[in-house]
Amino acid sequence: MYTIELLDVVTTAGILYIVALGLLIVYGVLKIINLAHGAFLVLGSYAAVIATWLDWSPWSALVIALVGGAAVGAVAEWRVLRDLYVRPLDTILATWGLNIIIVQSITLYFGREIQFAESGVTQAVSVGGVTYSLYRLILLLIAAVLGVLVWLLMRRTQIGIVAQAVIMNEELAQALGINTRLVRFVTFCLGAGLASLAGALITPLVSVHPNLGVPWLINAFMLVMVAGVSLGNLALAALILGGAQVLVSSYGNPVLGSLTIIILAVIILRFRTITT
Amino acid sequence: MAHHQKKDVLMTASRTLAEQIASFWRRRWLAIFGASVLFVAFLLASPMVLGEYAQQILSQAFFFAIAAITVDLLWGYTGVLTFGQSAFFGIGVYTVAIALAYYVDGALATAGAIFAAMVGAALVGAAVGWLSFWDRATPIYVAIVTLALPVVFTQIILSGGAYTGSSSGLPIPVPFLSITEWYYIAGGLLLLVAIGAYVFVSSDAGRVLVAIRENEERCRYLGLNTSRMKIHLMTACSAIAALSGAFYVLFSSVAAHSYGDFVFGTELVVWTALGGRGTLIGPILGTVGVNYVSALLGGNLPFIWLLFVGFAFVLVVVYLPQGLVPAIGQGLSTLVRPIRQLLNGGWNAVAAGAPPGAAGAAVALSSTADALGQRRSMIGAPDEAPVLELRDVGMQYGSLVALHGVSLKAYRGEVVGIIGPNGAGKTTLLRCIADGRERSTGEVLINGHRIDRLPPQRCVALGVSRKFQTPNVFDALTVLDCLRVARSYREPTSPWRRSRTVELPEPALAAVEVSGLTTMLNERASHLSHGAKQALELAMVLAQEPTVLLLDEPTAGLTRDERAAIGSVLTELAQSHRLCILLIEHDLDFVRDISTRLVVLHMGRVLLDGPLSEIADSDLIRSIYVGGTA
Repeated sequence: MYTIELLDVVTTAGILYIVALGLLIVYGVLKIINLAHGAFLVLGSYAAVIATWLDWSPWSALVIALVGGAAVGAVAEWRVLRDLYVRPLDTILATWGLNIIIVQSITLYFGREIQFAESGVTQAVSVGGVTYSLYRLILLLIAAVLGVLVWLLMRRTQIGIVAQAVIMNEELAQALGINTRLVRFVTFCLGAGLASLAGALITPLVSVHPNLGVPWLINAFMLVMVAGVSLGNLALAALILGGAQVLVSSYGNPVLGSLTIIILAVIILRFRTITT
Repeated sequence: MAHHQKKDVLMTASRTLAEQIASFWRRRWLAIFGASVLFVAFLLASPMVLGEYAQQILSQAFFFAIAAITVDLLWGYTGVLTFGQSAFFGIGVYTVAIALAYYVDGALATAGAIFAAMVGAALVGAAVGWLSFWDRATPIYVAIVTLALPVVFTQIILSGGAYTGSSSGLPIPVPFLSITEWYYIAGGLLLLVAIGAYVFVSSDAGRVLVAIRENEERCRYLGLNTSRMKIHLMTACSAIAALSGAFYVLFSSVAAHSYGDFVFGTELVVWTALGGRGTLIGPILGTVGVNYVSALLGGNLPFIWLLFVGFAFVLVVVYLPQGLVPAIGQGLSTLVRPIRQLLNGGWNAVAAGAPPGAAGAAVALSSTADALGQRRSMIGAPDEAPVLELRDVGMQYGSLVALHGVSLKAYRGEVVGIIGPNGAGKTTLLRCIADGRERSTGEVLINGHRIDRLPPQRCVALGVSRKFQTPNVFDALTVLDCLRVARSYREPTSPWRRSRTVELPEPALAAVEVSGLTTMLNERASHLSHGAKQALELAMVLAQEPTVLLLDEPTAGLTRDERAAIGSVLTELAQSHRLCILLIEHDLDFVRDISTRLVVLHMGRVLLDGPLSEIADSDLIRSIYVGGTA
């Protein structure tokens, strides 16, 4: 009966989770809002375009995106952000500047027109009596895998545990001799790489053009603000707010649907009393 | 004798006062007049050189610059980072466009539509302000709301179909004016808004905005309702942005959703940052410069130009956070310094009659004599009520209990020294008195009034003022301006007048005088020594005319002499002005010198409470301060 809606809700939540993950990690460890997140998404999408041009497998785009995004992120952290952490409001501006630089560079090279990228999976499958896009289901799986991987990375690896220490108490971590500078660098690269990977993953669902990042950035930003720094909260926020978006779009009005996440996030942040 | 001296100060002060005010008013209005004449001359003369295309580009840039000024007022001066001014610009654009396209025509109706646009934007701005600024809002939250606003606006426009023109824009019938006429209108409007903004930011109210940017918490503890001020500012800036949008659409004759979208909102911030936030002229030049050049470059060049702007923006944010115009200004001033010195020499010779030291500022005593007289009359009343009463006050952070049921009464004229080892809960105790939202249990009464869950600014109104542990002054303001901001809780601040004096109650004036701040009234607070900052903050707190004064280590980091000076001020405050002083102090000798009573806190409990003479030499105090087991 409501199978399609249910599938839409969970897959939308999965997509939002994938897109917001990199932003959450950067926000959690570096305490900055990376407004260049949208630009990294765009980078990933154009990685898919390049893979199509080169006639490579669409899946190779994921690797190109991850590596390319992390590399650009590395340069950005090294040249721009490193000395700005003491001025948090200015990091918002600087990352928006990075966004302009990346997006304009892409525009210069590829032009403003919509590009085509090959999709790895185009079939539909039958689930619970309805035909549904296999790719969206795969994205849900990928969201779960990414979530578990990042969780393992944070809990089980040296760098992850150190990053946790930085999240909890940066001054203490520094006093204990933790190289917070390295932690920040690695985290930003990871965040940028994940954003770029997300961009490659959503390419089959969107039309690729240089400004595709902004709406995704805004939704991801709102989800991260609501979720705080917890992976579990992000999943929950993606499910509830993303779910609301799907329901409002299909039963109400698509325009209102596109605003659902923003409006709900603003209201939640204003009136909730518990902080995360 | 002492009284006579003070009177002399007063008279000298009022004499210099008149001269200073006159000269300042001359200077401020002269600057406005000079800049206006120059700009009007440029405006009138430039069409002879500039082609129509250039005039069109500049007109557009002038309208955008008005919106950039509102970004500067909010972000540059007050510290409210906003991406949403484009939405208010857009409200101006679409209100006028829809009115002219469907409902009205004629000059009067157009003016009405512009006014309606401003009122509408002001209402939305007030709502946004109410949503964004509450007592514990983070600075990020307003960025979130103002980021959401243009997105919501754009979606509404896009979903309006033919009515709003959706994505293809809404063409409107416009009054026919020549390109040069529009150029004059745009320039004139920009000039008016810029003058208004300049008068505002250089007024007393403008100083308060900078104080909010520098240290909002201190402002709250000075009794200022900063949230309300920011809401008012947001409301006014929204109306002005809508005004520029309304004129812009009359000029361009097409309403497009891109004038209200998120990207335009960020562009306004970029232009403001490039030119120089908090300078007014910087955002104007930044906006005009970026728009002019990007219009001159044709073909594929705009993308390269935008890329260049992006790079310039990042470089400015990282290396020149004050922006290009102040940086260029500094560069020029090093070049022209020799000339200026020459000029200043001439000025000084003219002004040689003025007394040194009081240069450019004066402090006048206030006439709070009545209140003081009343207080004095209460001396020695045997059954005097406590001015401060704590009933079973407890404070818990998660599982950590910082205060266990502290009960305490304090009276006028008492100096209560609160001592105890680190972590005993001393600062927490002061926090619970100065901010009704802090404590977990119990009740605090100031002058017989419960503080309930009142925020700090409301507690100030009940008569409690708090000085912080580390000196908390407004670094970007001068000493005089800091004192003025502190006084603005008692005296309404003018949004256009700029006073060069401040009336201080006697205790605050005493603190200014004994610390030698009188000679540094025009010095920036950031340039003061640590001791002078401590004294300034004390004077700011005393300017509130509190009955209960909370001092958190007022002598930390002070020299011996400075300490003695502060000590004498505090003793005088308690004895002559009948203030009740609660003092946290680690220096036991200082506490002995000035306290009348000691309260020993340990692990969040009151261990001892009694007159100085009885407990100052007890074993307990010795063990706490010298070491050993209690």
